[in-house]
Amino acid sequence: MDFASLAVQLNAGTIVPEAIVLITLMTVVVSDLIIGRQASAQWTPYIAIAGLLASVVALFYQWDVANPISFIGEFNGDALSVVFRGIIALSAATTILMSIRYVIQSGTSLAEFITILLTATLGGMFLSGSDELVAVYVSLETLSISSYLLTGYTKRDPRSNEAALKYLLIGASSSAIFLYGASLLYGLSGGETRLSTISASIASAGLAQSIGLVIALVFAIAGIAFKIAAVPFHQWTPDVYEGSPTPVVAFLSVGSKAAGFALAIRLLVTAFPLVSEQWQLVMTTLAILSMVLGNVVALAQTSMKRLLAYSSIGQAGFVMIGLILGTDAGYSSMVFYLMVYLFMNLGAFTCIILFTLRTGTDQISEYAGLYQKDPLLTLALSVCLLSLGGIPPLAGFFGKLYLFWAGWQAGAYPLVILGLVTSVISIYYYIRVVKMMVVKEPQEMSDSVKNYPPTDWTLPGMRPLQVGLVSALIATSLAGIFSNPLFTLANDSVLKTPMLQQALGRSKAPIAKQMAPTISQQLSLQITEVSTKKAVSLPKSMVHS
Amino acid sequence: MLSTLIWFPVLGAIAIAALPLRQSKLVALTMSGFVLLWTLWIAHQFDFTNPLLQRQEYLPWLEPLGLNYQLGIDGLSLPLLMLNSLLTWIAIYSSQEETERPRLFYSLILLVSGAVAGAFLAQNLLLFFLFYEVELVPFYLLISIWGGEKRNYAAMKFLLYTALSGALILVAFLGLVWLRGADSFAYEALMGQSLPLWIQIVLLSLVLVGFGIKIPLVPLHTWLPDTYVAASTPVAILLGGVLAKLGAYGIFRFGLGLFPDAWATLAPGLATWATVSVLYGATVAIAQKDIKRMVAYSSIGHMGYILLGGAALTALSLVGAITQMVAHGLILAILFHLVGVVEAKVGTRELDVLNGLMNPIRGLPMVSALLVLGGMASAGIPGLVGFVSEFLVFQGSYSVFPVQTLLCVVGTGLTAVYFVILLNRTCFGKLDNAIAYFPQVEWRERVPALILALTIFFLGIQPTWLVRWSESTAIEMVAATPTVTHSPIAQVSD
Amino acid sequence: MQLQYFLLVAAALFCIGVYGLVNSRNAVRVLMSIELMLNAVNLNLMAFSNYLDPQAIKGQIFTIFVIAIAAAEAAVGLAIVLAIYRNRDTVDMEQFNLLKW
Repeated sequence: MDFASLAVQLNAGTIVPEAIVLITLMTVVVSDLIIGRQASAQWTPYIAIAGLLASVVALFYQWDVANPISFIGEFNGDALSVVFRGIIALSAATTILMSIRYVIQSGTSLAEFITILLTATLGGMFLSGSDELVAVYVSLETLSISSYLLTGYTKRDPRSNEAALKYLLIGASSSAIFLYGASLLYGLSGGETRLSTISASIASAGLAQSIGLVIALVFAIAGIAFKIAAVPFHQWTPDVYEGSPTPVVAFLSVGSKAAGFALAIRLLVTAFPLVSEQWQLVMTTLAILSMVLGNVVALAQTSMKRLLAYSSIGQAGFVMIGLILGTDAGYSSMVFYLMVYLFMNLGAFTCIILFTLRTGTDQISEYAGLYQKDPLLTLALSVCLLSLGGIPPLAGFFGKLYLFWAGWQAGAYPLVILGLVTSVISIYYYIRVVKMMVVKEPQEMSDSVKNYPPTDWTLPGMRPLQVGLVSALIATSLAGIFSNPLFTLANDSVLKTPMLQQALGRSKAPIAKQMAPTISQQLSLQITEVSTKKAVSLPKSMVHS
Repeated sequence: MLSTLIWFPVLGAIAIAALPLRQSKLVALTMSGFVLLWTLWIAHQFDFTNPLLQRQEYLPWLEPLGLNYQLGIDGLSLPLLMLNSLLTWIAIYSSQEETERPRLFYSLILLVSGAVAGAFLAQNLLLFFLFYEVELVPFYLLISIWGGEKRNYAAMKFLLYTALSGALILVAFLGLVWLRGADSFAYEALMGQSLPLWIQIVLLSLVLVGFGIKIPLVPLHTWLPDTYVAASTPVAILLGGVLAKLGAYGIFRFGLGLFPDAWATLAPGLATWATVSVLYGATVAIAQKDIKRMVAYSSIGHMGYILLGGAALTALSLVGAITQMVAHGLILAILFHLVGVVEAKVGTRELDVLNGLMNPIRGLPMVSALLVLGGMASAGIPGLVGFVSEFLVFQGSYSVFPVQTLLCVVGTGLTAVYFVILLNRTCFGKLDNAIAYFPQVEWRERVPALILALTIFFLGIQPTWLVRWSESTAIEMVAATPTVTHSPIAQVSD
Repeated sequence: MQLQYFLLVAAALFCIGVYGLVNSRNAVRVLMSIELMLNAVNLNLMAFSNYLDPQAIKGQIFTIFVIAIAAAEAAVGLAIVLAIYRNRDTVDMEQFNLLKW
């Protein structure tokens, strides 16, 4: 085999964005070694951000490639993966913006932090496109192991240590369980590791209904559910969120979660179409539990980071609605929600970081009366939280609307109604924070706010934080109103992804449109049919016969 | 341009919040004054004979969701828009000069006003829902920052009830659009009756309960007394005068307009529900010791007439119902305003303590006189606007629901009872000179009441000015609804 | 020898790993239990590879990756345990209760 044909077969062009991140990573490490810690802190973060943005630009050119499959089927750079890689890269860039001041103030090395973060990003980006069990596992572990390191980054803080240990133990055992599932898949398919061929081989071996496949599915879902922090695999979330450095939490809650969802879509849709009813049932259960438990337990929290931890569990439940539906609109609403979630959640974390840096606490009661001292922070945090709660006209409202609309179209009424009810509950705890900041009288001001230092944006690392804050604020308030491009992006990413289109093969058009002409005749029939199904009624065309 | 009505206040709100202006009240007053003039101009241009949407505006927005920017007015929304603009101006004018955090206060009021205008104008279900939810947080803040005692509790209760009402309405909208197989939430496209009746009834019930929370109807009203009482006067004026009308408007526009068959089927039940609301509100109001609370309960009763008029669904009763929305908005505003003035001057709202305010020397003669006028208007004394609307409602409904209508007339009688109690205790009797050292009533406090009183009086003796806006629309709405014979009720009345 | 025996051994090993994971109080022992689970997977993969996929031996390749990553994971895990021991003078899981709601 000569070099040219090998290069064609490898099709390495699809991983240019990852290569850019890798080069950036190496640059950061090497320049840190050469010029020393003090000097490198001045500009390595900006190199990293530039690299990540360059990677996003490179992704833009990957959007419509003719042949997305590379490395002999290891990696699939289709449109869906491009969107997810973009979300992950952007979340990493924003995380760096907000972490500069935080890391400097904590007295640890900035370049090392960025290196590990970039490694995690790399893992996440590869995970979004991995199309083969080995690649899935390796990129999953790249993401996970660097996340453990990030969690324990402030190594003199016992809370950070404890969070890292808990995260590591739970994470490692869940990935071991996932791996066991993967090994069963490998065996059942008679020695296939490519996701796309696994299901065909299992079907041809006549094992479509075997108990082994269901076990493999359950084990795989355990691994995925851990990454996206779905109940009951969420126990690590509050502890890790509370103990870790806040920028890390921001990355875990957006970047790492997005990677988890990318994995979920790809693995469940391509490797488990034979048991789609089962995985939809399991995921429905997880979604219901996540929405209920996440939003209800959040009511009782007193620490801001723990509040956001439970809120992010609830949010994951909302996103899972889109995953379960198995329609075009479902997947694209999920992608859309994740994009919107990126802005609002990172915005909220930027605000928390800023507050923690000035006051050293993240107790909700300490936010009392912040309005008097820092209107910008109050405004930004209020907007982001209200957006998470789904208040119009902020971005989160449109995200939820789209999710619920897609859910309703696919006939998942109980899920949508539960989603609505839990969002009403969630408004309660988000508004509690807003109330704390805005409503409290000057005399009710908390001690931390009384001693609130004047804002000094000229300190090293404060400028990026300000940029992150303002851009998150603008994005959260306007992304909803001007969300047409994002909508188009999300829809296209689903329409242009061959894997999803194949899975949806028998239901190309959205369900509602299909039925429109004959709606009046079918209606009564349809409704009785829907109401007799108990948990979630799936569009008929999706159920594999 | 209808959009001006939405975006001018919103831009004003942003400007007041963002720019370090000293005179935020003046700015807000100018803004809302301009909006009021603009509304009057639109009303002036309005074509009375045309029952359909006028001055439509359309901008494509989120096509995949079926959410587009569609506005328009007809005889149902125009009177309410005028009410909104007027009461916003009144609320801003009547707010205290030394309001705390004035920039936030006025910007929130303008924001609310813009959002409510948007909800009245929206011709797309999702757009309406969006505006309907936008006012949630501003109102929460308005109640919980500037409210009286128990404001936190009241504000949270308001928030949760309203959010729940929003969720129900959204479910109804999603259900309707999906079952109709439409790919857009445009209002016009969804009219007509192609759904089976029982589905219509289910969806209509969701809409009714959703908006019923907002109106509020018994037994969904428990947030109302707490919220109205806890809110400061300008906020209470907006809550009772404008926001409650949004619920009634929603029931007419999205209940009656979208599910006419189901509406016709449920009409007897609705009429009975309305009667229960009327009687409950009036009876509970009689038992109150706090005048603000009394006015709040009176509002529950009066909103019942609106539902009765809608349920009867004759052209006359529908016009009456729309008129009643405006009339009640004006009357509630003047009552809340005067109660606020009394509380500010005398320092209490307790019926047992208040006495003899009519006293021309030591009392508050002008305020008391206006209070008497407001009470009379509320009780439906002829010559004032309350009489016109209630008369239209009863006249129109009697032929369809005689029993319910008669019970509601009894409700009006009860209204007279508690207003006599209120006026007798507060205004008449002997003023205790020893404690009567009331601060001077300023013009700032008199002017809004005078304007409202004049409007109430003028529309009372010249009702065509109020009725003509909605006549053709009401006739059209009745014509679009199938007539269902309410045989059981007719038998009862025989 | 049949494939089933290997799978049974692997499953037993996996279960022992899970048992150890749940029941150990010492953090290092928990790490060791996780290693057991990973080794069970390796056994699975090797067996499948040998019986079902003797040509491409993808399972054996997979195993090599798993071993490498398990080493990385253990290294990071031990580093964290070391850090926590320095701060808290204990590696007892029951003592780690700073984070609780």
